[in-house]
Amino acid sequence: MSVLLEVRGLRTAFHTSRGKAQAVRGVDLTVKPGEILGIVGESGSGKSVTCMSVLRLLKRAGRIEGGEVLFGGRDLLTLSEGQMSDIRGSDIGVIFQDPMSSLNPTLTVGEQVMEVILRHRGGGKAAARARTIELFEMVRIPSAATRIDAYPHEFSGGMRQRAMIAIALACEPKLLIADEPTTALDVTIQKQILSLIKELQGRLGMAVLLITHDLGVIAEAADRVMVMYGGMVMEEGPVARIFAAPRHPYTQGLMASVPDPRTAGEGRLAPIPGSPPDMMQPPAGCPFAPRCPAAMNVCDAEAPQLYAAGAAHRSRCWLMDPDAPQQGGAA
Amino acid sequence: MSLVTLDNLSQHFPVGGGLFAKPAILRAVDGVSLTIEEGETLGIVGESGCGKSTLARTLIRLNRPTGGRITFDGQDITTAPEAGLRPLRRRMQMIFQDPLASLDGRMSVRDLVAEPLDLLRIGTPKERTQRVHELLRKVGLSPDHAGRYPHEFSGGQRQRIGIARAIAPGPDLVICDEPISALDVSIQAQVVNMLQDLQDELGLTCLFITHDLSMVRHIADRIGVMYLGKLVELAPAADLYARPLHPYTRKLLSAIPVPDPAARRDEAPATDEIPSPLDLPSGCRFRSRCPLATELCARIEPEMADHGGGHLAACHHARPPEDGDPIPSNPRTKQESEDA
Repeated sequence: MSVLLEVRGLRTAFHTSRGKAQAVRGVDLTVKPGEILGIVGESGSGKSVTCMSVLRLLKRAGRIEGGEVLFGGRDLLTLSEGQMSDIRGSDIGVIFQDPMSSLNPTLTVGEQVMEVILRHRGGGKAAARARTIELFEMVRIPSAATRIDAYPHEFSGGMRQRAMIAIALACEPKLLIADEPTTALDVTIQKQILSLIKELQGRLGMAVLLITHDLGVIAEAADRVMVMYGGMVMEEGPVARIFAAPRHPYTQGLMASVPDPRTAGEGRLAPIPGSPPDMMQPPAGCPFAPRCPAAMNVCDAEAPQLYAAGAAHRSRCWLMDPDAPQQGGAA
Repeated sequence: MSLVTLDNLSQHFPVGGGLFAKPAILRAVDGVSLTIEEGETLGIVGESGCGKSTLARTLIRLNRPTGGRITFDGQDITTAPEAGLRPLRRRMQMIFQDPLASLDGRMSVRDLVAEPLDLLRIGTPKERTQRVHELLRKVGLSPDHAGRYPHEFSGGQRQRIGIARAIAPGPDLVICDEPISALDVSIQAQVVNMLQDLQDELGLTCLFITHDLSMVRHIADRIGVMYLGKLVELAPAADLYARPLHPYTRKLLSAIPVPDPAARRDEAPATDEIPSPLDLPSGCRFRSRCPLATELCARIEPEMADHGGGHLAACHHARPPEDGDPIPSNPRTKQESEDA
C-alpha cells in the first residue's frame, strides 16, 4: 500500500533562555491515503510539535534538527517557504483547537474561505463564493448562503470549528491535520464535529492526522493510534488492538487512569505516579522509566527500540526484548 | 441532614443596555432548588453557559442572588451582608480550575496556604506555620516546598497547593469548580484520589462542578444536570447513567467518547445548537433540540418531578431509556482484537 506522509527520524527542539527543550526525539510515522491516524499524548509529549514540524509552522524558537518529512515524494523540510505555503491549505489542510484565535475577527467567515480558494485555485470571486457556499453546506452550517457573510464572533464555537473545517477542506487536501479539534468544544458539539470529520474523510477519501489527549476521541475516530511520551513514540498499532491489548506500561497506565463512563463509580482510580519528564533534561533511557511500575536497570541506562508486538503493533519497551525476564499479564 | 438548601435560586445578570436601550437579562441561574447533604459529593454537570459555575459562586454568596433563598447549615444567607458572612467563609472554600491563575505567583507556598488563616485570624503565627506544614503533607507535598513559588511546580502540584489552601481553615463545604480539567490525564487520577481521601478524612461536603461526565460518575454521590440555567435532572449517580429520564441527559451521556473502539457508534452528524441564553425558547428551554418535544412543551415549562428513589427530572415526557438509546449500562465487554 502506498504511503501519503512519511516522517523519518524527526528531531525538533526549542531554544529558550533556560536551555534547549528536546520536544521531539526521533519520531517515525506513516500515514496511508484515506486513513485516520491518531496521535495521543499528554502535554509535553511532543504530539503537537510533531505535526507543527510537518507543517513547518513552529514558533520562532523551534528548530527541526534532523529527519525527513516525505509528502508526495518530496521532503517538505527541503522546500522553500513559498513552496511550503503552496502545500499548506491545498494539499494539506489544518484545523486547530481554538477556532476563534485561528479566524480573523475583522473579515467575514466567507471571505476567509474565499481567500484560500483564490490563493490556491485562482478563478473569479463569484466562483469562489459559490464554492464557499458549497463548502458551508458540506460542513452543515445551516443557511449557508447567508451565514457566509457573518463575522466569526457571530458564530458559536461549534459553527466556528465547522468554518475552520470548510477552510481546511476548500482545496480538497489529501491530508487533514487536526490538532485537538474538539478540545475547546462541549461534549455534544464534540460528537458532532468528530462525526463530521469522519464523514468527510470517508466521502473525500482524505487522510487525517488527529492529535488529541483524549483516549475517548481516539477510540471514537481513529483507525490507527500512536501513543507519544517524552518526545518519543511509545506504542503504535491498530486502534482495536491497542485498546484491547496495550503492551506498553505507559499506555496501560493511561488507560487505567481514566474512568470508563459506563462503569465508573466503585473503587479507586489507578493513577500513574510522578510527573512527566522535564524536556530540558530528558532521561537518558526510557522517558517513562521514572514512573514505570515495571522499570528495570536497563530502562534508565538506554532507551529501548520499538519492538514488534504483533501485526502492525509495536511497543518501545525493554520488556518486549527477547532477553527480558518473562512478565505475566503484560497485556 | 442538609448542609446547603437552595430554594428556587435565581441569578440574573443585565447584559448590554445603554442610555436609552434596556439591558437584556441573562438568566444564568433560573429557579434552581436542591440540597447538599452533609458529607456527600454533589456533582453538577452541563455544557458551557449552563450556569453551573454561577450556581456555585452564588451558593457561597460571591454573587448576590436575584431571587430565591440559600440556607447554609440552617442559616438563611441569601441577603446576609459581607460582615455577617465572614464567620461562615471559613466553613465554605473553593478550589478553582487553573491554579496558575488562581494562585498569586509572587507569594510563596507558605504565604499562599497561610493566607486564609491570616485573613480569618486563625491561630498564632507559629501555629499557622505548623498548620501549613501539616497541610502540605496532607496534600502530598513536603514542608520543604513552603519557601518555593507556584511557577516552580508542575500543574498537578500547583493544584495540590490550591487544595491545601482551600482546606486550611477547616471548611465544611468545598466547592470544586472544574478542579482537574486543566491537568493531564495521568495526573487527574492522582488529584481525584487525593480529594476523595481528604473528603473521607475530614468529613468534607463537596460540590463538584464539571463538564467531565466520566469523572463525575466516579466521584459524585448524586449528580445534577443543568441546561441554560435550569436544573433538568437530579439523581443518585449510578441511577442517572442507568436510567436517564430527561432527553437532554440522554443526549449528553450519548455524546461521551467512550475509551473503547468496540463501543463505537457511527451516526450521521447532527447540527443542533444551544440557543442563546438571552433568547430562550418559550416553555421548556430544551425543546428546540428535543426529539420528544410537543406543543405542550412550547406552552408550559416543566417542573421538577420525583420519579422515585430520589430521581428528579423536569420534563413533560420524562421516561426511562428505550432500545436504541445511548449508553449501555452493562459492564464493558472486552473484545479480542481481530488481528491478535
